[in-house]
Amino acid sequence: MKTLAGSSVVYSAKFLPGLSAIVLGLTVILGLGFMQDANNYIHNAAHDGRHSAAFPCH
Amino acid sequence: MADFRKLVIAALAAGILSGLLLSVLQYYLTQPLILAAEQFEAPATGSEHEWQPENGWQRFAFTMLFNGLSGFGFALLLSAAMYWHGTGGYWRGLLWGSAGYLVFFAAPSLGLPPELPGTDSAALLSRQAWWLFTAASTVAGLYGLLLSKNHGLQIAGGMLAAAPHLIGAPHPEIAQALAPEALQQRFVVMSAFSNALFWLSLGALAGFSMTKLKL
Repeated sequence: MKTLAGSSVVYSAKFLPGLSAIVLGLTVILGLGFMQDANNYIHNAAHDGRHSAAFPCH
Repeated sequence: MADFRKLVIAALAAGILSGLLLSVLQYYLTQPLILAAEQFEAPATGSEHEWQPENGWQRFAFTMLFNGLSGFGFALLLSAAMYWHGTGGYWRGLLWGSAGYLVFFAAPSLGLPPELPGTDSAALLSRQAWWLFTAASTVAGLYGLLLSKNHGLQIAGGMLAAAPHLIGAPHPEIAQALAPEALQQRFVVMSAFSNALFWLSLGALAGFSMTKLKL
């Protein structure tokens, strides 16, 4: 029941905690790296971070 | 959900510390290049009235915040993958961190290298889509090639990992940049280097924290 390779992770107690962490992680990353707001507040604040992390910017 | 809380704690520790490390590296290696490139940009038209962090400490503070938060986000993905796979410890963490670097920096950078401000590129949405497609197919590729023992999945994984590069990243018809080519090349090298250290640190610290938390 330990590994994904056993394809049993979906039925294991590990499924939900792992999935929740992934959903939260993706939300944070997409918000920081990809969100374009109308006033460019987020874009301008995150500008240098996006450039240096190779996220598409501008 | 006790495990979810542990994953969040491990990701916070790894993300904040690695984000600080990345900020120090950027302060010396990439930030000066971004500022130098902006000297070649004409004063922005229309964005004069837009809020943006003031050059100096305020601007750097936002970059530190970005690095800490993105470190947290990436560490959540990394910890969840290690948790599902049943791995921990900092040595294993280094390997998973390297995989994260391939997925979220190296593979997307093959088609869309880190760019200095003032570089022409294709429409933002198409580049974002290609970036996400590349990261996702690299995850699938690494899983098939490194973790699966099923030959079908191995072949499918290899093909998926190659697909975005065969299709090719969106580029403008005529590409031009305001900053000199040498500056741009230096930026690519310095970004690649600082992000590599960031991901190794992120993986090692996530693995270490997970073992400490008995995940």
